[in-house]
Amino acid sequence: MRPNIKLASYLGSFVGVGLITLLLAPFQSQINSTSVSLFYLLLVLFIALFWGSGPALFASVLGVIALNFFFLPPLYTLSIAHPQNWVALAVFFTTALAVGQLSARAKRRAEEAERNQHEIERLYKELRDAFERASQAEALRQSEKLKSSLLDAVTHDLRTPLTSIKASITTLIDEARGHTDDSQPVSLDPESRFEMLEVINEETDRLNRFIGGLIELARIEAGELHLRRRWGTVDEIISTALARAQPLTQNHSLQVAIEAELPVVRVDESAVSEVVYTLVDNAVKYSHAGTTIRINARLDEASVEMSVEDEGKGIAPDLRERVFDKFFRATRDGDISTSQPPGTGMGLAIAKGIVEAHNGTIWIESGERGKGTRVVFTLPIGDEEPSG
Amino acid sequence: MKSQAADDMNEKRRILVVDDEPQLTRVLRTGLTSRGYEVLTAADGIAGLDICNTWHPDLVITDLAMPNMDGLELCRRIRAASTVPIIVLSAKGEEKVKVQALDIGADDFVTKPFGIDELLARVRASLRRAPGQATGELDQAVLDLGDFHVDISSHSVTLRGNEIRLTPKEFDLLVFFIKHSGKVLTHHTLLAAVWGGDYVEQDQYLRVFVGNLRKKLETNPAEPKYILTEPWVGYRFNPSG
Repeated sequence: MRPNIKLASYLGSFVGVGLITLLLAPFQSQINSTSVSLFYLLLVLFIALFWGSGPALFASVLGVIALNFFFLPPLYTLSIAHPQNWVALAVFFTTALAVGQLSARAKRRAEEAERNQHEIERLYKELRDAFERASQAEALRQSEKLKSSLLDAVTHDLRTPLTSIKASITTLIDEARGHTDDSQPVSLDPESRFEMLEVINEETDRLNRFIGGLIELARIEAGELHLRRRWGTVDEIISTALARAQPLTQNHSLQVAIEAELPVVRVDESAVSEVVYTLVDNAVKYSHAGTTIRINARLDEASVEMSVEDEGKGIAPDLRERVFDKFFRATRDGDISTSQPPGTGMGLAIAKGIVEAHNGTIWIESGERGKGTRVVFTLPIGDEEPSG
Repeated sequence: MKSQAADDMNEKRRILVVDDEPQLTRVLRTGLTSRGYEVLTAADGIAGLDICNTWHPDLVITDLAMPNMDGLELCRRIRAASTVPIIVLSAKGEEKVKVQALDIGADDFVTKPFGIDELLARVRASLRRAPGQATGELDQAVLDLGDFHVDISSHSVTLRGNEIRLTPKEFDLLVFFIKHSGKVLTHHTLLAAVWGGDYVEQDQYLRVFVGNLRKKLETNPAEPKYILTEPWVGYRFNPSG
């Protein structure tokens, strides 16, 4: 309590006792001293509640003096005629003290509880703010990390073909000049020269595929994949994909099982065929020559379920979600110890985008008897009111 | 492998190329073979180490990021048993790994994408340095290299006939540079070699001493010709300016 508030409370106590005395003094003959003492007691109680124990004690002492002086005979002296009034005065004083102390203590407790409550609220708020800030920073850090790892993947995939192209071209330039920078003679046999040109040709195609994939991925992510849905058969879709994949699948044996009497589906045939092609391409890349690739299509309630299964090494369960992330490649990023077949890390991300645009789902499971990889996707058969 | 002039086996220097990118190993095999080198390639570190142990190449060119055993580990394993020069192929963004590889004992690096001439120049430089020098110690009393003539016992240095006065530490640094001329030397390597193990984190030490050496050696210290800076990595000494 600040000093002037303290002073004011003592002054207030004095004024309070004075007021009661002034009010009751004219009636000193009509009311008995016990009633008067109760009024003083009431005042002490209020003072204790509002201003604490110090002013209450002060008011108690003033009360005793006023009671003695104005109400207990002989009046207007500080002496007492009847011994029983001594007792009354003592009881009054003790009661006033006790009431003052108890109520002041109760007030202190209440204030303390309130302070604690405020403190707890403040701490809680602080904690919540700190937590929010931390989680925002974490989210930002994560997204920065993701961005930079995507950038790493893209630059790696762009730079790798460029490196082969540059090395090939500079080899050919040296040969055309007839010597290297420090005049060492150079000669390439026609076969080597052809090989260099072949590498350049293949690697520019690879760059072009990569850029095509980036564009398609960007389109999917921007929600701009416009499906041209038409009624078509699963047979057609699969045979289109397999015809395109024919140059890749020469060293594998293909088993195609399409359930009889599959309903026609309302899908973008070329997009779905692209998905099947991607899955077959992956199956070829990640399994040995001579093994079998199984392509299945069957009806599953209101969806057609298609799957492509290989007899390769398989994909660890904890990577089966991540292979659908763009630029993620299990062989490079997932500690699968094999050398890395050429790929862009975009095929499955695009396939997922296409399947989901059809309201279907795509996932990976183990092949038959837990070996190999089976990629499965579903396509709702579609109705008269397509969403796309 | 091409069977090109297979008779002069003794003349042909053997190069092992380790990279997981088949197109690049294909190009390098052809490019290097056409320059008269004998080349074997491997797609990962484990295969590379195998070939290294059985074929004993004169030079190893390796990528850094590879499956199975990466380039860093390959350098470490090769260095444990051999002093064969190693050239590291690195990409921008792999600077940290590149420096680690050089610290471990790789001799040089080429940044992707590179022209074949750049690679060949590094190959020739590394092969020239290789015999006897790969161990790093030449116990000669007098070093005569390019524009430099250094007498170790009398601590005297002449640069194109002019006597240069150096403090003992500057002298040690110059001698280390001369003994490893042409090779990329990381900050870490130089600090450990000239100042000892306690100073390997004190890059500024090195910068001050290299600055002083340049003032005494270079005609234009702002555009050094002898002590060349390899950004973020260290220095390379060119004795002929």
